[in-house]
Amino acid sequence: MVDFCPDDTPELKAWRLEVREFLHEAWPSKRIFDYDYDEDPAGWEEYKAFWRAVGKKGWVALTWPKEYYGQARSTVEKWILDEEFIAYGAPTYPVIGLAVAAAVLRHGTHEQRLRHLKGIAEATTLWGEGYTEPSAGSDLASLTTRAHRDGDHWVLNGQKTLGTAAHQCDWMFVLARSDPNSVKHNGISAFLVPLDTPGIQMLPLENIGDGQQNQTFFENARIPADCLVGDEGQAWNQIWFGIGGEQLDNAFAAQDTHLMRMVRMLADTISYCKETKRGGAPLTEDPVIRVQLGELMVGVEALRLAALDGYSKAATSGKGGRGALESNLNAAFYKEFWPHYAQVAMEIVGPLAQIQGGKWAQLNGRFEKYFRTSFGNHAGGTSQLKRMVAATRGLGLPR
Amino acid sequence: MAIDLNFNEEQQLICNTAKEFFAKRCPPELARKYENSTEDFPRELWKEIADLGWLGMTFPVEYDGLGCSFLDTYGIYVEAGRSLAPVPLLEAIGIGAALVARMGSADQKQALLPAIAAGDKLVTLAIMEPDGSYGANGVTLTAVKQGDGFVLDGTKLLVACAGTADRLIVAARTGGAGEDGVTLFLVDPKAAGVSIERTKNIGGYPLYAVTLAKVAVSAADVLGAVGKAWPATEAVMMQAAVLQSAMVVGAGERVLEIAVGYAKERVQFGQPIGRHQAVQYLCTDVAIALRNTSLLTLHAAWKIDSGQPFLREAALAKASASKASAKMTFAAHEVHAGIGFMIDYDLQLYTMRGKHWEYNLGDARHHYEIAVAQAAA
Repeated sequence: MVDFCPDDTPELKAWRLEVREFLHEAWPSKRIFDYDYDEDPAGWEEYKAFWRAVGKKGWVALTWPKEYYGQARSTVEKWILDEEFIAYGAPTYPVIGLAVAAAVLRHGTHEQRLRHLKGIAEATTLWGEGYTEPSAGSDLASLTTRAHRDGDHWVLNGQKTLGTAAHQCDWMFVLARSDPNSVKHNGISAFLVPLDTPGIQMLPLENIGDGQQNQTFFENARIPADCLVGDEGQAWNQIWFGIGGEQLDNAFAAQDTHLMRMVRMLADTISYCKETKRGGAPLTEDPVIRVQLGELMVGVEALRLAALDGYSKAATSGKGGRGALESNLNAAFYKEFWPHYAQVAMEIVGPLAQIQGGKWAQLNGRFEKYFRTSFGNHAGGTSQLKRMVAATRGLGLPR
Repeated sequence: MAIDLNFNEEQQLICNTAKEFFAKRCPPELARKYENSTEDFPRELWKEIADLGWLGMTFPVEYDGLGCSFLDTYGIYVEAGRSLAPVPLLEAIGIGAALVARMGSADQKQALLPAIAAGDKLVTLAIMEPDGSYGANGVTLTAVKQGDGFVLDGTKLLVACAGTADRLIVAARTGGAGEDGVTLFLVDPKAAGVSIERTKNIGGYPLYAVTLAKVAVSAADVLGAVGKAWPATEAVMMQAAVLQSAMVVGAGERVLEIAVGYAKERVQFGQPIGRHQAVQYLCTDVAIALRNTSLLTLHAAWKIDSGQPFLREAALAKASASKASAKMTFAAHEVHAGIGFMIDYDLQLYTMRGKHWEYNLGDARHHYEIAVAQAAA
């Protein structure tokens, strides 16, 4: 039965209020903080403490099974939790911990779940990504980082790049080729790698969105055999499509980091236009700006509903999750709409949008920063790639 | 208390039945036959739809309706859109009958709704005037009080099925300005002083220019309260805009099917054109516009169905549907190139009707205005 409204019971209404009250206590500054675009050390400390507080409530693992630190609560409750985080403007969960948890819950052993999920649930262990390589971006399956078995260890050699906020992380989720004779998708395995392993070195890469990404070098880095997650050589099918969105939906619904930011940005854009006068009248009375705002509202609402659809499918269908078509269409739309949003917002604000700080900066410089960060829309795969996957795997067009 | 975007079993059954019915009874040739034809629509097909119980579905049971909900009928509109069924479901049921059901007196409802449900009578709305707008300010046709009744003077455009309608619901100004002072009248299109002229149009629809010259209307034919009709009229038009969006969704699904089918079959440079990424891009353009519109439309329908305020959601849905209608058909034409330009190829049927749907009940700009007015309030 069609139902978009998750809190029509007193219990759920009370749950919403509980989340809201918690946020007022745990993030009183309402500071805008994005882990991938902020390097301020004090901000990081405040941010990490906030998520540890969320973890202490058991809310990171809200929907996980009870035997693995979860509360086995419903997707409806998870949606309400996320909605409240969005409305409040709270920061999103650090880096890729939730995706790692999805992969470990789905493909890990009982021991791996016990060992790794605790730190993710409590937000005491932060996980960075080790997928992209200098020569393997959109064509990730051409990656060349090697993992070879040596007794009860795996030995890693190679280079990863564009690891968002990896320098803040304790562990890395690494895709490497475990079968030296394999090509393309076969023979890739996934590893849970402690970043203090000897033989791992990191160099910073600064991006135009004020964030730090990293190059990570592996030189005979030895990790215990039980760091392999999932079946040897099967990471592409088991794990990668999980991270790519389709299987992730199944386990968790989406984490919707980007959606949270966009909903927040839209609310801020509209209030900016209400409060800002040009030629004596608020920007909301400018007919051109009204059309621009209307278009932005349509796009953001479509993305919100797409996320809700992911939750719906996770909750109601046996296998769960949006299919290859829907998840890739949503990803492609998002990746194109985000920079479009940023461009339009800059047009609305006009020349003052250039100013980055101080009393003349508009909305504390948020618009121009949003514009700069929107060039990070390729993270997790370009829109071109998502469209190709949607076209071939979703619409059935020939490869 | 679940997040669930799926229809219930009965609704799914209605969708399936409607899909089968329209596929069988409304092949593209039927849509072609009624393009700018002298007949408004196939009356026997309308009667068949009445016999299925679909016309009076949402009417109250005391007026021969089934008392069904908004979402129950949703699938019928999706399927009518997919098949381009040349019947005035939206105009006569989604708008005309909905206005009568919402605003009519018991006598008016008794006189019209059972006959509409049976497929015997037809009522459509006459609102747009030569300034081409859908808002309250656009209603300038004058209604002057005379004795117990009123005298109406003015012109209405894009009036659906005026050639067959038993009554037109004419929006007129009895005074005031803007939303205040709008009154609806039930007018017999054959009454003295009413002249109608079918206007040839891009979608080939039975759309008329209706001129009223000193048309006398009795007080008994006022629909709703004098001067206070706008809020209910707007609400019905916004609900109908969601149904129009549902039709765009159904049509979009078919347009996507046509485009993808052609991209798989058409061979150039020794391979299907669908292998070219430029063509894959066009196909995903259709699919993205369709998916967004589908989500927004279902959401708005649910808002209406569950009795919540829905203006913002309906506006976002129709804005998306209007843009999508143009974008989907354009991209599909790009996939087809020359063959899509041919009148015998079915894609153009969607393109031409899609242009009417884009405008009908307000284009994207009209609905951006409504959504932003809600958000900036």
